[in-house]
Amino acid sequence: MPVITVREALRQALHEVMEDQSVFIIGEDIGHYGSTYGVTAGFLEQYGPDRIRDAPIAEAGIVGLAIGAAMVGMRPIAEIMSVNFSLLAFDQLFNHAAKIYSMFGGQMQVPMVLRTTNGWTQLSATHSQSFDSMFAYMPGLKVVAPATPYDMKGLLKASVADPDPVVFIEHTLMYTVKGEVPEEEYSVPIGRSNIVREGRHVTVVTYSRMVHLSLQAAEILAKEGIEVEIVDLRTLRPLDMSLSIESFKKTNRGVVVTEDWQSFGTSAEIAARLYEYGFDHLDAPIARVNFKEVPMPYSKNLELQTVVTVDRIVHAIRSVLK
Amino acid sequence: MQQPPHIALGLSPEQLLAVLGGMHRSRAVDDRLWQLSRQGKAHFVITAAGHEATQFGCALAINAGRDYVVPYYRDMALAMALGQSPLEILLHAMGRQGDPASGGRQMFGHFSSRSLRIVSGSSSVGSHVPHAVGLALAMRIRGEGNIAAATFFGEGATAEGAWHEAMTIAGIHQLPVVFVCENNYYAISVPQPREVPVEDVAAKAAGYGMPGVVVDGNDLFAVYAAARAALQRARNGDGPTLLECKTYRLRPHSNADDDRKYRSAAEVEQWRQRDPIPRLERYLLDRHLATDAEISAIRQAARDEVDEATRIADATPRPAVETIFDHLYGDQPA
Ligand SMILES: Cc1ncc(C[n+]2csc(CCOP(=O)(O)OP(=O)(O)O)c2C)c(N)n1
Ligand SMILES: [Mg+2]
Repeated sequence: MPVITVREALRQALHEVMEDQSVFIIGEDIGHYGSTYGVTAGFLEQYGPDRIRDAPIAEAGIVGLAIGAAMVGMRPIAEIMSVNFSLLAFDQLFNHAAKIYSMFGGQMQVPMVLRTTNGWTQLSATHSQSFDSMFAYMPGLKVVAPATPYDMKGLLKASVADPDPVVFIEHTLMYTVKGEVPEEEYSVPIGRSNIVREGRHVTVVTYSRMVHLSLQAAEILAKEGIEVEIVDLRTLRPLDMSLSIESFKKTNRGVVVTEDWQSFGTSAEIAARLYEYGFDHLDAPIARVNFKEVPMPYSKNLELQTVVTVDRIVHAIRSVLK
Repeated sequence: MQQPPHIALGLSPEQLLAVLGGMHRSRAVDDRLWQLSRQGKAHFVITAAGHEATQFGCALAINAGRDYVVPYYRDMALAMALGQSPLEILLHAMGRQGDPASGGRQMFGHFSSRSLRIVSGSSSVGSHVPHAVGLALAMRIRGEGNIAAATFFGEGATAEGAWHEAMTIAGIHQLPVVFVCENNYYAISVPQPREVPVEDVAAKAAGYGMPGVVVDGNDLFAVYAAARAALQRARNGDGPTLLECKTYRLRPHSNADDDRKYRSAAEVEQWRQRDPIPRLERYLLDRHLATDAEISAIRQAARDEVDEATRIADATPRPAVETIFDHLYGDQPA
């Protein structure tokens, strides 16, 4: 099977969905520039300015117009170059995209995708945030945050095909991550988690970039005979906890690793579900590994104190095994 | 015969030489930041090169430490013109202890100084503009309407909702704000025709009940004259102004950008010919306000100062890890 990067996987998915003439892409710097992370490089030349549209710096406008176009059957892909700027479009997402199908009594749907990206590396307080839990809070939205090239491609295709608005969350530190992607057509269904490593001593529930750090932590612990099972959620809403709970019933110990703040973050919901459905199987309190609860500092040393590291994951796993 | 503009504007030769020195200092810091970026010592670099006449021209008209200034990331030369030193800028860029802007918390380009009344912003383009309106409103309420607020942004930012909302409110209440648009014809890669639907951003002013003024942003004197008039209007209680300064950034948007992808070398070269720093030097030379030797000495002094500031900044530690939770919440009132 060919091994490609996340960036290439996303590009393949976008090329495939562009075959549907109702799909168009709009976002800042996506045309001539090929987008901030190079995902749409060459698209303008191939598909023309009608379907590959550079937007002015107007996030509410971009998402609002995607909603409008989607209501009449287009399949817009709106790109917000950094999730931090999606805040400006939250009214559109929350008060419109998420609710139109329900508010209009099922008369109109909003089959749009909002592609955006999490991430950090010395971009500091207003440029290094995760709003995963905020997106996932809203009934009516679907929220996808894959970790591998295979899932990026498969889930992006499923997101564009989906009848509902989907927030598709990428990660700036993952565009060069490589993995196997088959040549034949496939897609990955929204709302299904996946076991990415089997083990019997502890269950790690995670998603997006933290899958890779958790895998590294598991490698380290494997040398000591600790077998870590890792569940990649892949989708946050609808949240599929079935594999996580099954795994937890086997290991009786759980760690939740998410790259956001702990209080009211995604790990809170995930841990709550583990407690609710795995209560009888609990051998230790569930540990969580997240950002320190400060605005992300710029200085490298403070930033490294704030983010999730492999060491901190290893430490948390050890703590639930005590 | 027409008076030379600096005389017409009441600027002394000494002031002009000070501005030239300031511009050179700013450009030398800019040069240094790109070097530091290559050395891995300044993670994020955003340039002011090319915008110096706009920023120094406005600074000349601002009462530093009295008027409020709400800048954007492009405004390093403005921050320096208002009184920040190369060392302060470098501590900020390198995220070192004593960074006056944020104590190593904010990425480069978010200038601030309480004493200079420079107010920090966020990374969301245009989101700072309403703050200037609020500052002006506070001045109005407190009967200090003779203190103006000046806010700065690119032409791209004028597409954002926050910008339109701020303009609307300032226009309704005729608040003492000057809105300065540094139009450099690009929002990262997107050229003006695809980010702004009109040729002059200043034309937008009409919809908000304020005058719009266009000037050559690379002409120090034109900028100063227009900024002075706008600030005077504000301080006199005559309301806000939108001032558009047409200029060009001579370097990529940031160290994460490759500007060859969206603009030609010929276009950049054309604007290099209009670089505001040599332009001011020619003005001084042509009118015998400075000699070649004096100008060289000014340039060299700026470089020496920046070398020394770099040495000190590089030897300054990063903020202590124990301070990580500092300034998250204020102290409780007793
Ligand atoms: C709300 C928001 N959207 C997008 C960005 C990304 N971004 C940073 S600078 C920039 C271009 C701004 O262009 P302009 O306002 O013309 O200022 P210039 O950089 O040209 O001085 C963009 C799109 C951002 N920082 N904030
Ligand atoms: Mg611009």
